[in-house]
Amino acid sequence: MDIIVCVKYVPETAEAEIKIDSTGKAIEKTGLVFDINEWDDYALEEAVLLKEKLGGTVTAITIGSEDSDAVLRKCLARGADDAIRLTDPQFEGSDGYAIAKILSKVIKNLPFSLILTGAQASDDGYATVGPILATLLGIPHATMVKKIELDDGVAKVNRELEGGLEEIAEITLPAVLAVQTGINEPRYVSIMGTRKAMKKEIKILGLADVGLSENEVGETGSWIKTEKMYVPPVEKQAEFLNGSPEEIAAKIAEILKTKGLI
Amino acid sequence: MTEIFVLTEHRQGQIRDITFEMLSKGRELAGKTNTELTAVLLGKEVKNHAKTLQDYAKRVLLVEDTQLENFNSDAYQKVLSSLIKEHKPLLTLMGHTSFGVELAPSLAVSLDTPLATDCIDLEFEGETLTVIRQMYGGKVNVKAVLRKAESYIVTVRQATFPVEKEAPMNGEIVEVPSPLSEEIAKKRFVKYVLPPPGGVDITAAEVLIGIGRGIKDGSNIPPVEELAKTLGGALACSRPIVDKGWLPNGCQVGSSGKTVKPKFYLALGISGAFQHVLGMKSSDVIIAVNKDPKAPIFGVADYAVVEDLFKIVPPLKSKIEELKR
Amino acid sequence: MHFELTEEQKYIKAAAREFAEGEFQPEVAREFDQKHEFPRAIYKKAAKLGFIGCYFDEKYSGQGLGLLENVLMEEEFCRVDSTLGSAMFAGLFGSDLILKYGTEAQKIEYLPKSAQGEWVSAGAFTEPAHGSDVTVMDTVAMRDGDEYVINGAKTMITNAPIADYAVVLCQTDPEARHKGQSLFIVKKGASGFDSNELTGKMGIRASLLGEYSFSDVRVPKEALLGEENKGFYHFMEFIDVGRINVAAQSVGMAQGALERALKYAKQREQFGRPLADFQVIQHKLADMALDIESARLLTYKAAWHVDQGKIIPKWACMAKTLATTNAMRVISEAMQIFGGYGYLADYDIERYYRDIRISAIYEGTTEIQKNVVARILLRE
Repeated sequence: MDIIVCVKYVPETAEAEIKIDSTGKAIEKTGLVFDINEWDDYALEEAVLLKEKLGGTVTAITIGSEDSDAVLRKCLARGADDAIRLTDPQFEGSDGYAIAKILSKVIKNLPFSLILTGAQASDDGYATVGPILATLLGIPHATMVKKIELDDGVAKVNRELEGGLEEIAEITLPAVLAVQTGINEPRYVSIMGTRKAMKKEIKILGLADVGLSENEVGETGSWIKTEKMYVPPVEKQAEFLNGSPEEIAAKIAEILKTKGLI
Repeated sequence: MTEIFVLTEHRQGQIRDITFEMLSKGRELAGKTNTELTAVLLGKEVKNHAKTLQDYAKRVLLVEDTQLENFNSDAYQKVLSSLIKEHKPLLTLMGHTSFGVELAPSLAVSLDTPLATDCIDLEFEGETLTVIRQMYGGKVNVKAVLRKAESYIVTVRQATFPVEKEAPMNGEIVEVPSPLSEEIAKKRFVKYVLPPPGGVDITAAEVLIGIGRGIKDGSNIPPVEELAKTLGGALACSRPIVDKGWLPNGCQVGSSGKTVKPKFYLALGISGAFQHVLGMKSSDVIIAVNKDPKAPIFGVADYAVVEDLFKIVPPLKSKIEELKR
Repeated sequence: MHFELTEEQKYIKAAAREFAEGEFQPEVAREFDQKHEFPRAIYKKAAKLGFIGCYFDEKYSGQGLGLLENVLMEEEFCRVDSTLGSAMFAGLFGSDLILKYGTEAQKIEYLPKSAQGEWVSAGAFTEPAHGSDVTVMDTVAMRDGDEYVINGAKTMITNAPIADYAVVLCQTDPEARHKGQSLFIVKKGASGFDSNELTGKMGIRASLLGEYSFSDVRVPKEALLGEENKGFYHFMEFIDVGRINVAAQSVGMAQGALERALKYAKQREQFGRPLADFQVIQHKLADMALDIESARLLTYKAAWHVDQGKIIPKWACMAKTLATTNAMRVISEAMQIFGGYGYLADYDIERYYRDIRISAIYEGTTEIQKNVVARILLRE
């Protein structure tokens, strides 16, 4: 079973303070720590687990600058066999559609039975790359995947629905499955893996290698374009409780008491 | 006159709330763009839904087919494609739900129609469609424009647009024969499943303590659980906690978990991604503790504490014990 | 001259950091600190990922890396947490002697289990009566046929209460002082071999300290490690490497303290502005960074020399002296920046402060390091 996993190198922002940069269209990236997109982390792990069970190969692909080699090295260290980085200044400003176009051009020439992506990226949150990629490749897909069982050319998947409900669907391979977080437990990078990864070559392809024109990628090749970025207006102004932890605790307890909950 | 399509989302005999939210927004947009609002309903034996929808749209396009009984993005895509090609709506709205994220992107590619996902607002400025979306887990908003086209597809975030009480529209029901001529073979719905239940029923608790990523490790949960017990309440959490297997599924609050309305919700180390907020914002009193003063959770909280949760939990527990004595 | 780590070294560092950040949660560390317990489960996890004994040959379940890589891992581990970080590298203390002087049979028996985290080891050198002076031992090992019989006592031994085996320095020729010492490997459970925990430690409480007593402990002659009567010299080379490891841990702890202080100085407001706005605090931070960077460079240099096949005592002793002295100062200053909160366990600086103190004492006190450096200077 040959598996392709699409990964993205993103800034970790869940616990970081974010500032908008001088262009007004992006955030200030300096000082932020970059790593594999959280959803992709699970997709990578799922790919490696499936490979360990069924044999075959895992190829990791990313689109980004040279810095994103770090995410590919991580994939290789965690068990991917090959890595491809798609880099071109023209790719800048691509939305999910343009990204999927680039990926599809490369992937259609690779052997695969399964493509895994994260259900979304923690930065732009489009949640579109997996399904668009599938459509461009003419294969079926499922998103929000919480469980994968492969049997005889068919993937039986659990999809997460709202309110704690899941649905089970069967998809004929080859297919694209966009993975939801929590599907597995991503492993740590080992020293053995790191050393193995360093010996591998990362294949680098640009716009011309991919076979797309300038107009098909970047902002011109996208459906959606950022006009400006701003800090969300506060809907409701919370009252800040200040003081030492003990003082704050006393204030919270007081609120509970007024509500008749103590 | 062109139309605005709203795709009805229904499951297990129920029309989901997102549908009415979109119809409300759709009505506003139709008024502004001088278009007509059409509810699109795909399913099997769903005439009762069509009747409900008559109040909310000028027209209900109804396609019935056994293959549309349960959601299948392949089948939906084929039927919607054919409807959109025929009606050329200015805009098709669907929910940014598990259903919409599976369907919208491939539909957009197959029709070569620009798509914007997970929008919290949208507006036509002349012929240009402008949307508001969020990035970085809700920490920033983005105003974005879509490539100019005759038709657009937008998925909208749940619980974002209020359902306005308006005069019934008495829309007409238009039955359209199903364009599905052959079996959808590559993707099959099997069944619905409920993940194994676990823990207490958090929807019944008057006091809830929600924990998020800030808890750092599963081994840090017991002291918080103790605090919850002291308060006679229960422990709830945001998605990462369940993902890591630290608490059972049943404890998750948010769009993919439970919706709770306790009298008191203490959010500890929860950043406030909208998925979580959706599930707890109707709580009576919300106190949020987070180290990041700009955490989105403070936008829904009544009281905000910018502090490490581990510094608050122990003194809070002793304070409460003191008051109970 | 080249001052950059290789790509591989950078990724090794990143892997160590990822593991440490995932496993060494402050609350977990505080718990081990309070319980005085070795974090065996975390240790095994680290070992399975290749972080323990990375400089062992691959055939002994190591990674075939150098001391510099080990130094980088120690630094990252201790940067994330002083207590758990230092404990990770205490687990195979003493096993380096087997790596260096062991017979193939000894290596096969002990090293893989050590590197895999299955066995914890100890190095028993210090004696109750002799402390820093290891030129004379009261613990004796006398040959008796195919066996040696060990009698005596050792103290201040890391892992003594839990070690699966210990490397013990004994007097085999009582008349010849340091020229009559030999090393032996003694397994847990050997008759007459007992351990006792030394409690009330100030810091590094996730690694245990204890003492050993030997009462007619019989070991086979195959338990002799290295050459007979060369034990002292083997030990001296070993301790130089140990000193570099202590330097690396100190650099890591200091770095961790600086990062915590930086964050705090930016957040905490006094007199209406962040602490970081005050020049007195800025200078403190600059001095701390200076202390760390100079110690780091000397530590890397000492480790690099070892990897080039040259154990140079001068560099090892200089690195340890500078790194430990600087780290104590840095952590003390970090506590000063934290003010009263720094004195409370919640902020972890208090733990760093306790954990760093031993580094100026074990593996040879700072005073001993300076003796060595001075002796070399005067001789050169």
